[in-house]
Amino acid sequence: MTATMTYREALKLSMRDAMVSDPGCLIYGLGVTDFTGIFGTTLGLEKEFGPGRVFDTPLSEDAMTGLAVGAALNGLYPIHIHIRNDFTLLTMNQVVNSIAKYRYMYGGLFQLPLLIRSVVGRSWGQGAQHSQSLQALFAHVPGLTVVMPASAASVLDTYAHAVKKFKGPVISLEHRLLYDYSFNLPDAPPPADPFAPRLARAGRDVTVVAVSSMVIDALHAADYMSREAGIEAEVIDLHCLTARDLGLVLSSVRKTGRLLVADTGWASYGVCAEICRAVAVSDPGALKAPVAEAAPAHAPCPTAKALENSFYPDMGTVVDKCYSLALGPGHGRPLPSEEFKRKLRKEFKGPF
Amino acid sequence: MQAGRGGAGVTAPSYRELFRQALRVRLAELKVAEIYPSDKIQSPVHLSLGQEHHAAALAASLLPGDQVYTTYRSHALYLAQGGDMKKMFAELYGRAGGISGGKAGSMHLCAPEAGLMGSSAIVGATLPHAMGAAYAFKLKNEPRVAVSVTGDGSTEEGVFSECLNFSSLKKLPVVFVVENNGLAIHARIENRQAYRLEALAGAYGIRYAMAPDGFDLEGVAAAFAPVLAASRAGEGPAVFEIKTCRYLQHVGVDGDLDKGYRCPREVGDWRCRDPLETDAALADELRPEIEREIDEAVAFAEASPVPPASDTFKDVI
Repeated sequence: MTATMTYREALKLSMRDAMVSDPGCLIYGLGVTDFTGIFGTTLGLEKEFGPGRVFDTPLSEDAMTGLAVGAALNGLYPIHIHIRNDFTLLTMNQVVNSIAKYRYMYGGLFQLPLLIRSVVGRSWGQGAQHSQSLQALFAHVPGLTVVMPASAASVLDTYAHAVKKFKGPVISLEHRLLYDYSFNLPDAPPPADPFAPRLARAGRDVTVVAVSSMVIDALHAADYMSREAGIEAEVIDLHCLTARDLGLVLSSVRKTGRLLVADTGWASYGVCAEICRAVAVSDPGALKAPVAEAAPAHAPCPTAKALENSFYPDMGTVVDKCYSLALGPGHGRPLPSEEFKRKLRKEFKGPF
Repeated sequence: MQAGRGGAGVTAPSYRELFRQALRVRLAELKVAEIYPSDKIQSPVHLSLGQEHHAAALAASLLPGDQVYTTYRSHALYLAQGGDMKKMFAELYGRAGGISGGKAGSMHLCAPEAGLMGSSAIVGATLPHAMGAAYAFKLKNEPRVAVSVTGDGSTEEGVFSECLNFSSLKKLPVVFVVENNGLAIHARIENRQAYRLEALAGAYGIRYAMAPDGFDLEGVAAAFAPVLAASRAGEGPAVFEIKTCRYLQHVGVDGDLDKGYRCPREVGDWRCRDPLETDAALADELRPEIEREIDEAVAFAEASPVPPASDTFKDVI
């Protein structure tokens, strides 16, 4: 029987593993030691490892991010956690002006091994300031490694690599919708480079490059299209937005000639724009059709459910766009019903 | 030469040694100003002229293992703390032999071997870095102190108050040294601050001490020593304010007393009791050896190769 694990369990396991394997590991942030424990991922750690290494913080994101710099320079491994990605905007001076540049600006005299986790909210009216997926802002800046683990196995291998092997600053965005998904754990060993794109599903007709929770939507869409239309989508989990080697994406596009990019953040200047850039500068002739994108509407996220539904892309968006790519615009094929999609999706309820 | 560390904080540093170190900084800065019009130094320089004295006093008071985090006006601390002068000039010249191979320039000097762990061009950015170092020292139970050295403008940044709060909450061995020259670029302190620094520190339960005359070499060292010792002994953070004077413009090598935003007499009052100018006899005695060191440093920089273009892509991630 295949072993399974939820995303949340993988996070909890990774945090404890980091604390056990590195006596200099710190875990801190707002809510780290409260009874919710960052959606359960840091529960029990303060008790096990003590308040010196696991602690709640004042609402001082700027100083708490700068704290990681001095701590990392002195042999500690800070893990700073934000329960909403939106709050990381309060850390940007430290992240962009100091953390991203510390190694380079001083000519390689220093390294800053550290991890910043943050959670992207979605559903149940998270609204404009509790739902943003700002990976593009971080990935824009040289010096940062930006990851968006899309499965339990990804969390395990990526965080283990960040803590135990990698010597630089890592920014991770975790999607709240992923937390309750249960994933099969592969028998295969972890990828040689955990900071690289991953093949999530092989296919021949259309390439879908997706990040974070959109990988789940893309996989659901791929199964649906295979079943309903015999169209086989190849799904690539971009995973590491700052990966320099996009060979996996390019070879897939060369094979299928058709590309859809599915992001949790806005399309302009984001992952959609970047993947299109990569294809355009490397091999634009590989495309047999214009590229398509599945991304939130170019607006702040609205709160009302009716508006939220039209704001976000979902598996139906992916199916629709892939049909258009593979069969031509105005494909006329039926799309998955709301009822069908609801059964697949794990939305969360409640104010937190 | 680990200049300036001789006092090692155990015995009070001598006037002569503090004077020598301050003069060394003064003459090096004047050399930078002399070279600057030649365009060999293509980097904004924020000279420490007028602020050398307290840098010498601070550095001489620290123990090996202590760390300093500071600002873009960092030449004085770099040299006083024991940074290599040759590498500094090469860095200003943008040469491969510089501290950071030409990637830092004047504004980001560091000397990790001497405990200077970084200098930022973003006001206040290094305050929490010092606090993080102090967190590590305390967690590892090491008798070390982290010292943040920033200007009076940095106390207006939100992060200053954030750092006062957290360092007090955790009783961290960090000293926030505030170099108060009364100016933030061209903005005067009375137009910027509605608070008294002592009261601000007090609100967070933080010890406060002041050196009213930053030019008093021994006075600054004497006032700083107990502040440092208390933090080292586990009494938590402190704010240490030093009143001083910036002789030149904010950035560059020219004076600006004719620009109308500050009174020439304010600077004149400081200058007429600047020991580096009034104690001419000692300055004359020490100058030749220092000038030799500076000449060697400049020659080293001039001879150092430019960094290869491939360095552009090195050490990014």
